[in-house]
Amino acid sequence: MHSLANTADDQLRRNLPLILWVLLGLVVIPVLYIAGVISIGTVNKLGRYLSFALVAIGLDLIWGYAGILGLCQALFFCLGGYAMGMYLAHHGGPEGIIDKTGWKLPACLFVVYPYKVGEVPGDAMVPWFWKPFWSLPNTIFLGLLIPGIFAFIIGYFGFRSRVRGVYFAILTQAITVAAQNFFTMNNMKFGGTNGLTRFAHICIARHPHGADVCQQSALSFDLSTDTVQFTLYLLTTMAIFVTYLLYCYITQTRLGRILVAVRDAENTLRFSGYKPYVYKLFAFILAAVTAGLGGLLYVPQMKIITPYNMGAERSILIVIFVAVGGRGTLSGALVGTLAVNLLYDFLTSFNQPIPLTNMLFPGGLTFAKAWPIVLGLLFLAVVLGYPNGLVKLPQHLLGKFKKAPDSDQIGAHQ
Amino acid sequence: MAMVEGRANTRISEYLLDSPIESRFSEEKYILFLQGITAVFDGFKALDIEALGIEHNELRVIIGPNGAGKTTMCDIISGKTRPTTGSVYFEGQNITETAETEIALLGIGRKFQTPTVFDSLTTYQNMELALPGHQNWFANLYSKISPEENNQILSILERVGLKNELHTEAKYLSHGQRQWLAISTLVLSNPKLLLVDEPAAGLTDAETALTAELLLELKGEHTLIIIEHDMDFVRQLDSPVTMLHEGKIMAEGTLADLQQNEEVIEAYLGR
Amino acid sequence: MTANKTFPLLALCLFFCLTQLLADSAEVGSAAVEEIQQILLKLGDKKSSIRKTAIMGLAKYDHPGLEALMNAFKLRQLYVWNDNVVILCPKIEGKTAALQDPLTQEPITDVSGKQFQVTVTELKQIRPGRPERGLAENVKSLFKLFSPDEETQLSGIKRCGEAKTIKGLGKLTDLALEKLDDLATGNQSKKIQRLALESALLIRISRISLDAGSTHLKLVTQLGHTKSQRSQKFLEKSLAQLEKSSALTPQIQRTYQAAIAKIRTYQQFISLLGNLFRGLSLGSVLILMALGLAITFGLMGVINMAHGELMMIGAYTTYVVQLVFAHTPETPNNWYFIFALPASFLMSATIGLLIEFFVVRHLYKRPLESLLATWGVGLILIQMIRLRFGDNIGVNAPSWGRGGIEVIQDLVFPYGRCFIIAICAFSVGAMYYLMRCTKVGLMMRATMQNREMASSLGVNTGFVDRCTFAFGSGIAGIAGYAWTLIGGVTPDMGQTNFIVDSFLVVVTGGVGEIIGVICAGLGIGGLTKTLEPMTGTIWAKILLLIAVVIFIQFKPSGLFAAKGRLADD
Repeated sequence: MHSLANTADDQLRRNLPLILWVLLGLVVIPVLYIAGVISIGTVNKLGRYLSFALVAIGLDLIWGYAGILGLCQALFFCLGGYAMGMYLAHHGGPEGIIDKTGWKLPACLFVVYPYKVGEVPGDAMVPWFWKPFWSLPNTIFLGLLIPGIFAFIIGYFGFRSRVRGVYFAILTQAITVAAQNFFTMNNMKFGGTNGLTRFAHICIARHPHGADVCQQSALSFDLSTDTVQFTLYLLTTMAIFVTYLLYCYITQTRLGRILVAVRDAENTLRFSGYKPYVYKLFAFILAAVTAGLGGLLYVPQMKIITPYNMGAERSILIVIFVAVGGRGTLSGALVGTLAVNLLYDFLTSFNQPIPLTNMLFPGGLTFAKAWPIVLGLLFLAVVLGYPNGLVKLPQHLLGKFKKAPDSDQIGAHQ
Repeated sequence: MAMVEGRANTRISEYLLDSPIESRFSEEKYILFLQGITAVFDGFKALDIEALGIEHNELRVIIGPNGAGKTTMCDIISGKTRPTTGSVYFEGQNITETAETEIALLGIGRKFQTPTVFDSLTTYQNMELALPGHQNWFANLYSKISPEENNQILSILERVGLKNELHTEAKYLSHGQRQWLAISTLVLSNPKLLLVDEPAAGLTDAETALTAELLLELKGEHTLIIIEHDMDFVRQLDSPVTMLHEGKIMAEGTLADLQQNEEVIEAYLGR
Repeated sequence: MTANKTFPLLALCLFFCLTQLLADSAEVGSAAVEEIQQILLKLGDKKSSIRKTAIMGLAKYDHPGLEALMNAFKLRQLYVWNDNVVILCPKIEGKTAALQDPLTQEPITDVSGKQFQVTVTELKQIRPGRPERGLAENVKSLFKLFSPDEETQLSGIKRCGEAKTIKGLGKLTDLALEKLDDLATGNQSKKIQRLALESALLIRISRISLDAGSTHLKLVTQLGHTKSQRSQKFLEKSLAQLEKSSALTPQIQRTYQAAIAKIRTYQQFISLLGNLFRGLSLGSVLILMALGLAITFGLMGVINMAHGELMMIGAYTTYVVQLVFAHTPETPNNWYFIFALPASFLMSATIGLLIEFFVVRHLYKRPLESLLATWGVGLILIQMIRLRFGDNIGVNAPSWGRGGIEVIQDLVFPYGRCFIIAICAFSVGAMYYLMRCTKVGLMMRATMQNREMASSLGVNTGFVDRCTFAFGSGIAGIAGYAWTLIGGVTPDMGQTNFIVDSFLVVVTGGVGEIIGVICAGLGIGGLTKTLEPMTGTIWAKILLLIAVVIFIQFKPSGLFAAKGRLADD
């Protein structure tokens, strides 16, 4: 169509980041690993960072495009994470401890495991809400559905009553803090502060509750092996690409443009007959489901999930990922996530105190101790110094800055 | 003038009817009817209209000094503000409590005083969002606009001279261009009733003339309410005028009539 | 003395009276002391029954030293010296022992003023058996009844009414009853009268069996009138026992239940009032926090997420001032608390000024970005303080900050919380005065409503912003200062506890309106503290959040929202 005027050049430029990412994630890293240049530890680390990137892409859709700063992305991430955590806990820990109804008791439900292997405990039961997470398909389905439902409830009441901007940000932060407290309570049967851990297998074969076939079945995979971790990395990378493609498509439809319109002038949109809250809700739910997917993929790679992961500061961290990479550009979310995490890795690898810091602090500061300060400075730098993010940096430096049709400057609007 | 004679027998008092309002003023005569509307903000009465009817396909100009309640009236019709008392009827339907989205879908379009366009979208994309019949969210995930719609957009943009700015983001447009774009989107959305708040503000004389021409073209098939300060512009429109003052309807008639009216002159020039 | 020079005659009279009075009391005292010394000797007797009689004999004296003497007796610190006098000797080192008077606990000195030392062989230790020790413990509560220290006296009165003491005192309960009746009717404070009456009732009821019929029931009803929790527990226990026995008639049950219900209603009422008061003080802290947030949001369109950290800075400043003044619970130096008030205000205001200058100034009307940037500032402040001062610091309240006023029976308003409410009222008053009655306030309001217009009329809007921001920050510092009286201080206290809650106050109250902030602060504080005992802290937080979300459904722009043209943004 005349109006859209997508030349081949435009197409290429739009898809270039994707092609580069495919090359890097699915070809370069695996080759390096197989050649023995990087260890499985590094691959695993990248896999975990990429699962954060899923959350970041989701946030980019709602914040970068629709202008909704949601600070409960970490909560959605953890809802997916806990779903997977419960599944893995069902199949991990000491074997063969069965409750009265024939369900295997997950070890992480107890601070000190009170029973010997094989003993049938009296009143300890598997909580009802753990039971749907016995099978993998159910877990994946629920791990995506539950964040979606939560997002629907929060979004429906928030957006419909026109809670916007900072109000929405603070409201969602309050919800995240409340949820974190909720998961921390021991009597809620989510493992309390220690979270869910002692994972061992991903078991694809269908098997009855209680009977543990994990160790024998050919369809059971030991989480501690390199092959399984490598496969999980590949899965995460592929999930990123699928999500990226989906998001690219969405942002280029009319719906994507309506989201941008919501950010620019939500009220005006209403007088054109659109219901902004429906569009916001759609983006918010989609972002939540994506975050849930991130959680599902993160937990088997990290092998633990705790309420710490859903703190307010984790949600804000995701915001900084997006801001560092470049708000409103999907590849920015990826770049930002990797950049901040790799910076953290790099800085905390120094054990020496930072020079001169011993003047203020007894014994001086290592980068590990000073990380929150670095993060704080990063916040200031991104907001005050260079709001365009890393993605725009090469264009700036090369001095051929052109108005890209699918991206927007931060800062022109709230 | 025929229109003026028509006005003579539609004085306010005629609308003050005692029987149920819906049945008496039928959809046949008035497309929009305001009855007993007041808007009170913190004890200040911004608007107090006993009755005001707009006939099908008429073009009504609303004038009045600053703070007369013109924009508040628009806000109430379009659903942005809820009146403290009174009702708004559109095509016989009570829309006082209807949400602004629904009102827009019923066929009331609005241009705001300061031209509001979507800054990060291009001119073309702004127009695209104004197209009627594309408000369903799910369809927006896959539907494309038809060639006719595309042509329609391009022809309107050509009229207002924005064709060269097709792919410019709206934030880089000049004030006049934004004003044009806002009017163009309103025209494109093809509502039954157009609320146009100060279309000529910040435009040159030539542009003002073109705006008047555009709006007059719509007159045959659409109903228009135009709020304006610029008397030259009002004169070009050559249509019945209602004057608001301190929230109340002060006078109605042709512009020439009003300019003879002592009250009106006093209100504009101050005491 | 100047008084002597000016009024020699008067002073002389006074002096005369005083000496006469002292001589009288000394005379009576010394006679009693001799008698006591005689009885004391019997404490060392071989026969348990004589020792017990001796203790009972002591009970009728009201010498203030007797309580400590009973303690010493239990701890085996009493000795008979040369078979004719009982002395106190808390510690024996080597072969000699220093002597103390058993009644006054003062060292016994010889003529030269040196403490008297004797060889160990001259002393015979008094060794109480188990029954005497029990008796001594119970008699101790009798002696406490006349202690000059009100706290001790109260604990004695309470102890006398306990079932264990009543049983242990045996025949001495008559004596206890007599003394308690004296206290209940005498010229004492209301609290002592009330508790004495209750203890007396408890003694009486334990001595009168159910057979006495109406007398017993009358006592039950009277216990109901005391409205105290102790009576409630006693009644509930007795009722439970009665229910097991066959003696329970409907009438008895009804009387008991009526008395219990009466106490329960009162206690529930009291605990509700107590919770509301705690809510009021929590609300006060929230108001102090939210004032600054709401006004900077209204004025500059920025959200300062580091506001919680400014509060934390206020609390840490109080801590540092405490260190400077070397105030500890053991060696109180209450001046620190007076100096800490301006110090915390100034410290937080200064840091607020720096934040305004370096960060917030550049982010006007961009609330979301200011939220992120100031969050970063908050992170930096938290970590700096954590690394410099560590995670756990203790701010000790000034000595007058402990304790409280008993407003009505069992309802105590702690001084600390009262002080917080006062500080809040003062700050709100100051804020109101500043905004409504001063030129700066006028400029502030003008800027809030229309920045460009104010600026073109010659208002230095930058200056107004800076002043407002610093003032709001200072008030947050005061909130932190006040918080040290009732809560813990950690580097992340602002982020975890206060920023979200105070923002909820702003949301509920409406932006830029002091009255809205006050109403919402008190509402949220009160609701939190009322819910907490019922549901636990976490559920209270969740319920509160749900309440706020529901509230927003109906009033999206808060309790006191701007209307009309101002409401457009």
